[in-house]
This record gives sequence, structure tokens and C-alpha cells, in this order.
Amino acid sequence: MSFAPRPPVQPWAKANIGRRVQVAAAIIVPATLTMLFNVLTGLDPNISLIVVFLPLQIIAASLVGFKAYGSRGIGDAILVVVTIFFSVFVLVLLLSVLGSVIVEGSKAISWQFLSQNNRYVSPTTSLDYGGVGHALLGTLMVVGLTTLAAVPLGIAMAVYLTQSQSKTRGIVRTFTQALSGLPSVVSGLFILSIIETTQMGRSGFTGSLALFPLMLPTVARVAEEALRLVPVDLRYAALALGAPNYRAFFQVILPAAKSGLVTALLLGLARIVGETAPLIVTVNANNGTSWNPFEGPMATLPTYVYNYLSSSFMTSQQRAWGAALVLLMLVAILFGLARFVSRSKSLKSKPTKKRASK
Amino acid sequence: MSESSLSKPEPARRKLSAGPLSRGDKWFFRTTSIAANFAFVLVFLILLFLFIQAWPTLQAQGPAFVYGNVWDSESSPMILQLGPMIWGSILISILGILIATPMALSMAYLIVFMLPGRLAKIATTLVDLLAALPSVVIGLWGLLVFTPVASNWAEVLNKYLGWIPIFTVENAENGFRGSPFIAGWIVAVMIVPIITSVTREIFSQLDRDLINGALALGGSRLSTFRRVILPTSSGGVVGGVLLGLGRAVGETVAIFYVLNLSFNINWANVLETEGGAVASWILARFGEASPAEKSGLMAAGLVLFVITLIINFIANWIVSKAQPWRKNQ
Repeated sequence: MSFAPRPPVQPWAKANIGRRVQVAAAIIVPATLTMLFNVLTGLDPNISLIVVFLPLQIIAASLVGFKAYGSRGIGDAILVVVTIFFSVFVLVLLLSVLGSVIVEGSKAISWQFLSQNNRYVSPTTSLDYGGVGHALLGTLMVVGLTTLAAVPLGIAMAVYLTQSQSKTRGIVRTFTQALSGLPSVVSGLFILSIIETTQMGRSGFTGSLALFPLMLPTVARVAEEALRLVPVDLRYAALALGAPNYRAFFQVILPAAKSGLVTALLLGLARIVGETAPLIVTVNANNGTSWNPFEGPMATLPTYVYNYLSSSFMTSQQRAWGAALVLLMLVAILFGLARFVSRSKSLKSKPTKKRASK
Repeated sequence: MSESSLSKPEPARRKLSAGPLSRGDKWFFRTTSIAANFAFVLVFLILLFLFIQAWPTLQAQGPAFVYGNVWDSESSPMILQLGPMIWGSILISILGILIATPMALSMAYLIVFMLPGRLAKIATTLVDLLAALPSVVIGLWGLLVFTPVASNWAEVLNKYLGWIPIFTVENAENGFRGSPFIAGWIVAVMIVPIITSVTREIFSQLDRDLINGALALGGSRLSTFRRVILPTSSGGVVGGVLLGLGRAVGETVAIFYVLNLSFNINWANVLETEGGAVASWILARFGEASPAEKSGLMAAGLVLFVITLIINFIANWIVSKAQPWRKNQ
């Protein structure tokens, strides 16, 4: 008949060796050509990456796609190449941030950098003297005070959103989400306006007040997700056995959602530990160690980075890098703990989850 | 028989109520609802206190506070107008969105449709890590590492595409530093994870049968992406982009380092060494401001908060519409 004798396309067939060689060639050839081009013309690698490498890579991938799947293979190849290119770009940006902080920061860091304060340090003092001990202490105290208030309140909000049948839940959720978009500097200005109105003194405590509106929505959102993961059958069973709602919550749901709530705490901490603008606005800077968060000036890690980066001296910039590394390590620890806790939760809750979805 | 039953007095109706029965429950729900209502109390308090402090400025400056382009705290009476900063915030946010959206979409597509399970998890973790980077660290990196690289890109753009109006530069001797272009990149780095995580969730909840059906009908990756995935998830993607926009408008410290704040309004010359951002301006002026100027900064904060509130309400509304599976939980 009129059907052309064409070999059937078998997308499910395993790629044969010839195909693999083609794909490998499509990856290697554009890269080598670009490198050759760079060496020959001396073009800036930043430019040749986009002007030379990307088009070559798209052409090569399209050729392979065309050979394997016909004309529709070309579109697929372009999609795949562009997707991978952009994604790699994101990863490069991320690794560039992490890498530069780790490389530059590790030059400044030492035991004395972590423990000493900055009382007798001028912008040109060598890195053998002074450190971020006072700022680390200040950050821990300020963030700790915020946590004391924000975590119980955030969890209570999550309980309201998941356990009660009130009609205002939608509005509460909307406002919580709106609060999570609060610009950090506005949060600082809010506390500042309270300070100006009430003539309260600026201290570490006002700083932790300024962090509170930023932490609350994060805790509430993650805690809500955690409480949702507890199968509703558990709660009904407890209620059917005659338990009042609060005992069903404290004795059944809370233990089941414990690790999720810990994750909420940790992610909330990670959200605020690096906040800079609210602390600049509400806390006076300090070069010495302060143990009292309710009175007087106090140093924190983000403001330490901010202050030293504003100076153009080499050692000051290195101090900023070092403090940034300490800050990054704090975030990484919190983040890693959160991952660890939530992973152990997902392992345990797998069977219950399956039953709930039935 | 029937008469007698009719003549019987009707028993009093039992009241049906579904409220909490025990006293403990009453307190339990009371406490949680007080906590929950704290959300809008807080939003209301922020608006109220900022408004009280900002009122003198708003009264003195009038509507020109939002569109005028003079900020002179030395003159008497003070002229405090925020126009270039507001426009700068918008310009930087638009640039950030333009840069971040393709990257975030690619990342989400890669994670959901291309990577095998374990790699996808690693990529998700990396993106979340990017979201957790403090903005002061991004600012440090942006000033000392990224600015030299990006000013190089800007120079090339200007050299080869300078004939396009937005890439023209009048003062090339500034070395292309401190431009909205660079600030846009920094903002993009900060909002890529937000857009990615929203888009990723929408992609992963798409009906797999739809995609498999499209593939079975002979669709390719590209046609499935364009005709099936994008149309069904577009609402959520737009919402995610708006959420990123809200974050971009409020970004403070990172932009403060990489942008040269200027009150010469810069409409769209993205490579020029002058731009504006409301939040960064608040930070820049804060240290040396007199009480009267502080009131002006509070007014700037109020304007910023109102803008982000509006953007966030719209964004969350769109996202929740695009995630019907969350509603009935």
C-alpha cells in the first residue's frame, strides 16, 4: 500500500551502543570545539559559553535527536539542553556562593576568632586578635528569645488550622501567608515605631521582637503541614474512646507529629538567624560581650558582617567573610538537623500514610 | 387512637450543638483561636504603628511622596519624595523575575520529569539550601565576587547590544558596577528557590495519566511540555512568580551592597550605575536620620508593606486556586 517501509520507532528499547556513542559525542565535541575556539581567539570564556558553546551543544543534541527520533527529536533535544543549561547555571551560582564563603572565610577562622570579642580591634588590627564570640553569643540569645515566643504561638496557630472546624480558618491562613511576605526591614521599622511611641530602650530584646513577625509564619506553616500528616483516623479513634479534644491532641497527635514540629522549629530558626535589616534598625551595635539581652547594646552575627563589609580595609573584609562562614555553618547545622529529623519521620510514618490514602 | 396521640403535647425539642463539651476543650479551642487571631492582629498593628509614625510626613508631603523625585533632608521644610526608589524597586523586581523564571522552571522540570529519584532529592535539597542563605551572605558574595563578573557581562552586553535602548550607558567610566542589572541578578538568586519550590510542587501533583496519555498519542517531550504541562500548571506558576515578586520588592541588605542608590530616576537603562530600591534606601538613610526624616522612612516602610501585602494576597489566592488538592484536606 502507500505506507512507506519505515523502521518502527521503539522508545522503550534500550539504547544501543551506537546511540550511546552518539550521545557521548554530542557532549564532548561542542566542549572541545569551544575550548579550541577560546584558545585560538582568546575570547572571554564567559561570553563564549553562551555565544559559542550553547549553540554548538544545541546543534549537536538536535543531530542526535534527529537521528534517533526523526524531526520531533530536535525539539526534545533543545528542551533537554536548555533545561540542563539553566539548572546547571543555578547550581553554579549556589556553589559559587558556598565556595567563596568557605574558601575566604576559612582564612579568618580560628578558635580565637570564634571565642574572643572585638573590644580592642580597629579596622587594621591583624586577624590574630579579636573575633566574633560576642556576636555569636548575641545571635544565640536574640534568636533564642524570639523562639520562646514564636514557636508556641506558631504551633497553636497550626492547631487551630488543623483541629478546629472554625469558619475563619481560611482568613487566618491568608493572613499568615501575607505575614510571611513581610519585608524584613518593615518588621524592624514596626518595632522601631513601638520604641519611639513607648520610649522603650533599644536592646537585644527589641531585636528579638523585630524577628518575631518573621519567624511566626514559617513555624505556623511547617507545623500545619506536620499536623496534617497525622492520619485523621487517629484523632477520631481517640475522640470515639471518649477523650476530649485537648487530650486527643496532647496524647495522640502531638507525639505522632513531634518530629514534624521539631522541623518547624528548626526551619523557623534557619529563617531568622541570618536576618540583618531588622537588627540594624532595632539593636545598637556593640564591640564587647553583653550577657544581658534586656538592656544595652548587643552584637549579632549578621550585623557584624554588615558593619565590617561597609569598611574597605582588607582585614575588615576578611572578618566579614569569617563571620559569614560562622553564620553559614549555623544555618547549615539547623538545616541538616531539620533534614535528619524529617527523614526519620517519613520512615516511621510510611505505613500509616498508606493506610490514610486508602 | 390517632386522636389521642395528636392531643399529646409535643415534647420540647432537644437543642443540637456541636460545640466542645468539656471545660478543658473550651479552653483548648479558646487558646488556639486567640493565637490564630494574632495573625491579623499583628498585620493590623504593623499598619497602625507605621501609620502613626508616618502620618506627619504623609501630611506634609502629600501624594508627591510617592511619585516625586527629591529627597532633601537639609532644606526646611524637608522635601521627602520616594518616586525613583519605588520605580527602582519595580525595575529590579521585573529584571529579577525575567532572569529567575526560566531558571526556576528549568530546575523544576529537571527535578520532576528528568532526574531519577535520588538525584531529584539531592537537587531539591540544594535548592532549599539556596533559599536558606541569609541575604547578608548573598550581599557579601554579590559585592566581592559577583559584581566583578557581572560588570564584565554588562560591558559585553553594552558593547554588542548597545544599540538597543535599554542597554545604552552614558557614563561608561563607572565600570558598569552598581547597576539595576546586577541588582536584578542578585534578586534572581534569592527568588529562584521560591519559584522553583512552588512550581515543583505543582508539576509533581499533575495528573500522570494526562502526561502519559499525551506521550502515548505520539507527543514528544517538547509538545507535552508546551501543550499539556504548561497549560495545566500555568496558574500555579504565575502564583509562584508573584510570590517571588513579593520577596524581590522587599529585599534589603543584598541590594544595598550591590546597587548605587540615586535619585536621578533611571527609567530602563539597566546597565547605568544608578538605581533605586525602597527597602535599601531605608537602610541607607537610617543611621543618620533626624526624627523628622525617620518619620519619612517609616512612611517608606508603610508604602513597601502595602505593596508587598497586595502582591502576596494576589499570589496566594492564585496559588491556592491552582492547588485544589490542598483545599479539601
